[in-house]
Amino acid sequence: MFVSNTETIHGKTIIQSLGVVTGSTVRAKHIGKDILAGLKNIVGGELKAYTELLQEARAEALNRMMMDAMQRGANAIVNVRFATSSVAGGAAELFAYGTAVQTD
Amino acid sequence: MLFSGMHQKSWFNKLKEREATFIAVNGKDNINNLKNPISSREIVCSELIMANVSMGVSWWQIFIGSIHQLFGGNITTYDRVLAYGRTEAFQRLREKALAKGWDAVVNVRLETATVMQKQRGDKKKGGAFEFLVYGTGIKYR
Repeated sequence: MFVSNTETIHGKTIIQSLGVVTGSTVRAKHIGKDILAGLKNIVGGELKAYTELLQEARAEALNRMMMDAMQRGANAIVNVRFATSSVAGGAAELFAYGTAVQTD
Repeated sequence: MLFSGMHQKSWFNKLKEREATFIAVNGKDNINNLKNPISSREIVCSELIMANVSMGVSWWQIFIGSIHQLFGGNITTYDRVLAYGRTEAFQRLREKALAKGWDAVVNVRLETATVMQKQRGDKKKGGAFEFLVYGTGIKYR
């Protein structure tokens, strides 16, 4: 599956558009790491646990989006965008969306 | 806690240095937010790449920030954290692109989110910021 956040794919032509595909996931770190991150927050600076958590979660959201596209018979997704919203303390919703297309 | 502000200044200077040396070594900045690459050379392959960083605001900075908020105006403590996070995220994307062998990254977008925010009644308390930078890595022939 080819994923890109540009509107076109360099070197390929898009035959048809198959609509918007989405993928989302809500993640929370386990309580131990949450507490450690909370302690780190006292002094500020980078919170590595959260960087990692969000990276994993985003990969999952991308994966789900790809599954959605695959079911529609697409072989590429263009114009991918990300969005994030916090639903509860310590949990975050990661959302990825794009346009599924068929290329030659 | 009290000294984290001072540390932050030195971190930021280090980061700026890292950015400057990266651009000096490579001759040019390899990321841009244009839809299409400037150079008309043929592109072999491309792929989505992203980098993220999450930054916490220290309790001391929140305290100073709340004092600033009484009078309004520029909240310098928050300013510094956000500026650092953003620059760091961009720098990570540059390094990631170089490590993966992409010649350039086009259509770079930045997304900011608040994570770890606790809500008690009407008040929203503290929290950390997350910066996500993503773009399309391209390789020339």
